[in-house]
Amino acid sequence: MSGADFRYIGQPLPRKEDRRFLIGAGCYIDDIEVPGVLHACFVRSPHAHARIVAIDAEAARAMPGVAAVFTGRDVARWTARHRMAPPIEGLHPVEMDSLPVERVRFHGDPVACVVAADRYLAEDAAEQVLVDYEVLPAVTDLRRALDPEAPRVDETLGSNLVSHQQAGFGDVEARMREAFRVVEARFSQHRQTHVPIETRGCIAVWDAGREHLTFHVGSQVPHPYRGMLAARLRLAESQITVISPDVGGGFGQKITLYREELAVAAIARELKRPVRWREDRIENLSASAQAREQTCRTRAAVAADGRLLALELEITEDFGAYCFYPANYMARVVAMILTGPYRVQDYRYDVKAVLTNKVGAAPMRAPMSITSWVMEGTMDAIARELQLDPMAVRRLNMLETGDLPYRMATGEVLRDITPRETFEAALAAVDYEAFRARQLAARAQGRLLGLGICNVVESTTYGSAFYKSAGIPGSGHEAAWVRIEPSGAVSASVGLGATGQGYETALSQAVAEGLGVLPSAVRILLGHTDIAPYGMGSRGARGGTAGGGVLYLCACDARAKVLAIAAQVLGLAGGGELRMVDGRIERREGDVWSDAGLALADVARLAYLDPLVLPAGMPPGLDFSRTFDPPPMTYSNATHACEVELDPATGALRLLRYVVAEDCGTVLSPVVVQGQQHGAVAMGLSGALFEQVVYDENGQNLTGLLSDYLVATAAELPDFEIIPMHTPSRHTPAGIKGMAEGGVMGAIGAVTNAVNDALAPARVVAERQPLTPVYLRGLLRSGRPGAGKENPT
Amino acid sequence: MERQNIRLHVNGREHDIEVAPRKLLSDALREDCHLTGTHVGCEHGVCGACTVLVDGRPARSCLAFAVQMEGHEIRTVESVAEADRLSPLQQALHEEHGLQCGFCTPGIVMTFEAFLRDHPDPSDEQIREALSGNLCRCTGYHNIVAAIRKAARRLREGEGHVGR
Repeated sequence: MSGADFRYIGQPLPRKEDRRFLIGAGCYIDDIEVPGVLHACFVRSPHAHARIVAIDAEAARAMPGVAAVFTGRDVARWTARHRMAPPIEGLHPVEMDSLPVERVRFHGDPVACVVAADRYLAEDAAEQVLVDYEVLPAVTDLRRALDPEAPRVDETLGSNLVSHQQAGFGDVEARMREAFRVVEARFSQHRQTHVPIETRGCIAVWDAGREHLTFHVGSQVPHPYRGMLAARLRLAESQITVISPDVGGGFGQKITLYREELAVAAIARELKRPVRWREDRIENLSASAQAREQTCRTRAAVAADGRLLALELEITEDFGAYCFYPANYMARVVAMILTGPYRVQDYRYDVKAVLTNKVGAAPMRAPMSITSWVMEGTMDAIARELQLDPMAVRRLNMLETGDLPYRMATGEVLRDITPRETFEAALAAVDYEAFRARQLAARAQGRLLGLGICNVVESTTYGSAFYKSAGIPGSGHEAAWVRIEPSGAVSASVGLGATGQGYETALSQAVAEGLGVLPSAVRILLGHTDIAPYGMGSRGARGGTAGGGVLYLCACDARAKVLAIAAQVLGLAGGGELRMVDGRIERREGDVWSDAGLALADVARLAYLDPLVLPAGMPPGLDFSRTFDPPPMTYSNATHACEVELDPATGALRLLRYVVAEDCGTVLSPVVVQGQQHGAVAMGLSGALFEQVVYDENGQNLTGLLSDYLVATAAELPDFEIIPMHTPSRHTPAGIKGMAEGGVMGAIGAVTNAVNDALAPARVVAERQPLTPVYLRGLLRSGRPGAGKENPT
Repeated sequence: MERQNIRLHVNGREHDIEVAPRKLLSDALREDCHLTGTHVGCEHGVCGACTVLVDGRPARSCLAFAVQMEGHEIRTVESVAEADRLSPLQQALHEEHGLQCGFCTPGIVMTFEAFLRDHPDPSDEQIREALSGNLCRCTGYHNIVAAIRKAARRLREGEGHVGR
């Protein structure tokens, strides 16, 4: 189905959410007033690794306004421990206390919780909780953590290697032997964190009479979150209502149930008083969740013309101190989709996850973010080694339409993607040949220009079958309902958890399309487990495909019934000659559609209030629900092009131009999609250039303020040029493919490849990020003398 | 800690409130004046989400105590729209998709209500420089810059608040 066939899907409508945010009337966690609420503040470990010898909270308890102080031992009595033990080969089962009882494992680990009349008093009292620690040796370095003599982060394990998987496809050894050259490349991504501008927070209200917990929390996954909370509190899911209001960004940080949130819920139940908690920014930067610390090595067997014969990947991830997710969760996906848009059937991977005394890892917008940098960096390495044009190497190996569907070595199937089209579109936009001429001319003047290209095949929507084949527990399904009231008012709901994307806008367009009403007539309800159906929530880039898809299907069901009733009223045999446009029934005579004199409101009134006129056997009402399990995996694709100038004297980098050609199939809202493209590229660039969580060798977090953990501002980021392309998927409802993370993948690779292109005269390669001036200047000085001061030809 | 009775002038109204001397202006606005449009993102003056106008100039409300604000005119995001009509800046942010989660938006609105008054015809570079005091994690800033440019043009052309 092409975009031209849609009436409401794809319209550039401004967002429904904006008005309340613009006038200061959004409702985030802290905006919810709760009478009689107590405020929680956590006492946190100043050590990276220590035994808790004793906790003396007497002085804190005696302070004004303090209601109680609880420790890990208290919370342990009220809750079940966390056990992470999915049946994954090579993954060691681990357990976690609800709050640490015996040992702390990172700087910032919570050890006690103070509840007081206000947040100021709670913070005062937290400072007076005296914890006696016996400091233990810590390990904060990935490589050292694998040393058999290294301190063990989890005493129940034999080593810090918590997860290790290997797989091979084809005959990599043979290809390596036959190859003209085996090209090796290395890639290290540094530790980052999500930095939603609204930090984590929650409010627990326990109704002792009804034995029911209402839990307000910004969550990407309200229903799975409710399930986790219920299990840990030993309550039935029906005893908990999770309400996720307006959320000030998530990016993967607001998925799991955190120990602080569990403690707040348990304490509210114990005290029979509402309790609220909001972390401050220091806690957010040092104790919430972190991501991306991965190091990779590829070995590519190539022919003399640059043809890729075989590929090998080793990836090791620093997973931090605790497993809030299966430790293979992020890195395994990188290994499964690495080869992306390129033809190669001989492939093997080795995926390790290692525990260290740092904050536990979580997926962060594009948990597989390193993928495209690794693959495209490998392509550039091949070109460098063989002295070929890097674009020619890409073209030689890239899938063409005729290759599709293409079964990757790992068994993943690529369909309906257009890597060659986005690649050529991006190269044309930046005028590749002209750039090379400008680059040469600039070098002659001592200036270092660079152009980086990064092709992205983004895994967007994970169906249940993918989870099964990747050895990850979970379902990929989504659920929706559509309800038309007797007045004709339309409401719809889905199990996604909004964190600012613009779902109320985009999803109303999916419902409008399926049903035949204006998007403005559709009210979308999200983030309330008593209202929304059980869905898997928002993660990956599944919102459009899974959420929009199931709403579209459900709205199609609704339209079918509306038209069947209309046909009966109009005295027609079937609904085939009827349609609904803007909430009006239209009838076809010949090739001409004309108004049939019926509106949705007329049909709705009959459906509910005059059911005897309905077709025989049709139940009254217009109330629909539907579930949908997407295909195993849906892919979008893009090509990013980034032009930079590197100052040879200072190592400072300027972003001169940024172009993205992206094909994400049918888009529900081009407004929302463009916003997601910008935001994802910005997060990728910010991470690659500036952001870095720094721990010293003792495990002290040195980046606990936004003045130390640097997020790119408007002054550092470029304008973005987007070339939209829309090849629909033939395997999803309405042809939606999903998007929102690929921008991160492309940006990380494009900017680093651009830097390496600029560095080429010095014959040095940046193999790690962030690309700070200090790092780049050091590379230049270690390279060939005079680079950037002469014409290399 | 001893509380004090103070009078805050916020959005043209007087609020008689009782606060501890250490209470931040941001917390007093949100909790005592019940104006929750001002958001708190870092409490150390970097993110800019809590920006309000003090005597017409942008200020971080997380870096001031409420008790310091007696005798000053404070404006928060709640005062920018007139009844149902958005300001040219708010309208441009809406049209250009210059906001996503909305958490940083009030700080940006307040910063640029003042900026556009002082800079009727700003360059993109000036806009980006001024915007660098407000962190946004969702948008990548491109559309915010476009919206500010558009708002500046409309203000130069004498356009006012717009209804729905």
